[in-house]
Amino acid sequence: MTALAVPEVETEHRIAGSGDAVLGYCMIAPLIVTMAALVFFPLAATVWDSLHRVNPMQPGTPFVGIANYVNMFSDGDLGRAWANTFIYVLIAVSIETAFGVLAAALINHVRIGRKWLLAAVVLPWALPAVVNAVIWLWIYQPGAGLLNGILVAFGLPFDNHVWFNDRASALIAVAVVHIWRMMPLTVVIALAAMQSIPGHLYEAARIDGATRSQMFFKITLPLIRGAVAVAMTNATVTAFNLFDEAWVLASSSLETRPILVQIYMETFQNLRFSYGMAMSLTVTVVSLLVSLVYVVRVYNTTRYE
Amino acid sequence: MRKLIVTSVIAAAMATALPALADDAKPLAGQSITVLLPSPQGADIAAEFEKATGIHVDLQTLNWDDIRPKLVTALVAGTPPADVTEFDWSWTGQFSAADWYLPLNDVIDADTVADIGPSKIFTINGQLLGVPYTNDFRVMLVNTKQFADAGITKMPTTLDELVADAKQIKAKGVTKYPLGLPLSPTEGASTSWYLLTKAFGGDLFDKDFKPLFVDKDSAGYKAFAFEMMLLKEGLVDPASTGLKDSQINEDMFANGIVSVMISGEPGRLGAFNDPKNSKVAGNIAAIVFPTESGQPRSFGLPEALGIPKVSKNRDAAIAFVKWFTTKEFQQENYANGFLPTRTSALAALNAQNKLISGDALVEESKHVEPLFSQGTPPWYPAFSSAVNTNINSAAKGEITVDQAMQNIAEGAKKAMAQ
Repeated sequence: MTALAVPEVETEHRIAGSGDAVLGYCMIAPLIVTMAALVFFPLAATVWDSLHRVNPMQPGTPFVGIANYVNMFSDGDLGRAWANTFIYVLIAVSIETAFGVLAAALINHVRIGRKWLLAAVVLPWALPAVVNAVIWLWIYQPGAGLLNGILVAFGLPFDNHVWFNDRASALIAVAVVHIWRMMPLTVVIALAAMQSIPGHLYEAARIDGATRSQMFFKITLPLIRGAVAVAMTNATVTAFNLFDEAWVLASSSLETRPILVQIYMETFQNLRFSYGMAMSLTVTVVSLLVSLVYVVRVYNTTRYE
Repeated sequence: MRKLIVTSVIAAAMATALPALADDAKPLAGQSITVLLPSPQGADIAAEFEKATGIHVDLQTLNWDDIRPKLVTALVAGTPPADVTEFDWSWTGQFSAADWYLPLNDVIDADTVADIGPSKIFTINGQLLGVPYTNDFRVMLVNTKQFADAGITKMPTTLDELVADAKQIKAKGVTKYPLGLPLSPTEGASTSWYLLTKAFGGDLFDKDFKPLFVDKDSAGYKAFAFEMMLLKEGLVDPASTGLKDSQINEDMFANGIVSVMISGEPGRLGAFNDPKNSKVAGNIAAIVFPTESGQPRSFGLPEALGIPKVSKNRDAAIAFVKWFTTKEFQQENYANGFLPTRTSALAALNAQNKLISGDALVEESKHVEPLFSQGTPPWYPAFSSAVNTNINSAAKGEITVDQAMQNIAEGAKKAMAQ
């Protein structure tokens, strides 16, 4: 009987499994179609066009191979834009991560009014990047700007100081505005991870006489490492994509120009569309490679095998 | 009874005929178009045009520097950014090569073209791509009261006199930074340098587009060094590295914070002398641009109206272009800060004594040259970007004048190689 029953059960399972699979495919079909239409097809088209000469001022779109990629190596402005971008990434990722995690830890200890505090912290992230940048443009203004006003009130010689007339301070000024906007996301990600840590781990540590900093470094940080990797990946990609802040605060200035402004100028000012596409793809690859470093490192240290 | 019947028939006939007559006078009535122009524009444009033609206008205005990206993104995608758009002199080479705009030779009559001198700048390969509506050339705008307050009675005619006057204004404490000069990476910084290059008696390129500004004795080099000297001497605000020409005009010159607008736009004279828009009304005059030799020189930067080929309302768009560039409207539009491009409109305004600093404008207009005698090349936007970003870097002390001139020459070479 048993020998006869098994194939029937297997058949039933196969039919049921096949039905589940069809249902599953149906359910993910909209996602696949959407991704194909809005991500994979444009990506493939961009790769294809980057291998051609696409310039509305010139007839035709002849195949040029990797010429657009090779030309990048002799482009001085592009080199400077890359340097500026790496500086933004370095400043933004390190500060957003360090201060974001610390801010999350502090908020995690707040018991009364935490949601209001969190709402206030998230506000800069909720505002459009251009609005944030315009607010900071007023803050940085040489004459009536808030920053100079505060420094002068402390007796410091910053009357009419022009923050964007020096490359170092200009790069920091742009990075600060980006950090101001993006750090709340790191806070939210880290806070969510912290709230999922079981309370009994801290109780046990407390019984064993652990200090607050020991608990933070031995319990909190290791257990939110995965979330921090996600936050760092996000911070890296958004720092590579920095545009609005640099454009509003310093326009196309060479001293602060990030890679995305360089792409914008090559594409929409010089109408070298395929060159702009090649540059865009390069940025995508570089930002993903940099992000991959955190992801792999965290994966290696947190996998349970 | 018979009279009543006849009267009724006539009334009925008239009631039927009048709308038909009205339709003949306004054949495009009921249509709608979009128009994209730089801000600010006159408040009554849409209403007046609709009254004249029955065509509804959705007038959109943007900061001048923001218009070109909007046009390019839309036109590359094959969609109309508007039915009628701004068309600057500096875009002619690029937009002509891209074949984005409708040639207007067949719809704009020869008399109009003849009356509008700057039409030549917008005629590429025999095709008229835009009809100029604002006669922008450069003069110098001065605050005569501030000059008088500093004890200066004679306006400068040479660059040395200009520097001496600026130093005197600063020394007397009339204004802290007497000269308005944009040094931000925007078009206004480029055009100021071009103008000063002319003022030093030179040109940017030779007939083969070989750069003429790298040599230390060249006019372009001297003009660049002159700008840096003005900054170093404290005659130009160091914050100008972040200011567009429009910001210096509207926030500084119109508020009496600077005494001279080096690269002055004649069209702004009306607004500067209007108490509603300016704190220095009644004190602003145009003077012929001072030069190294004293011999006047300037160049034209006219702006036109163009119709994208992808516009879906061509007839109504053409009607707008025609109406906007009529002699009557150009005279009226002078009050909004637009100097007429029609010689006849300019002469009429001057005859009526409505042209502020008319004598200086008429004198300067005799010396207006095109920036590129060969026509604006398609690589101009990339070249201009190299110019203004290097002016900006040099003004911040990041590079020397030598390095800047080399960089601009390299930028020109790279732009031409596209």
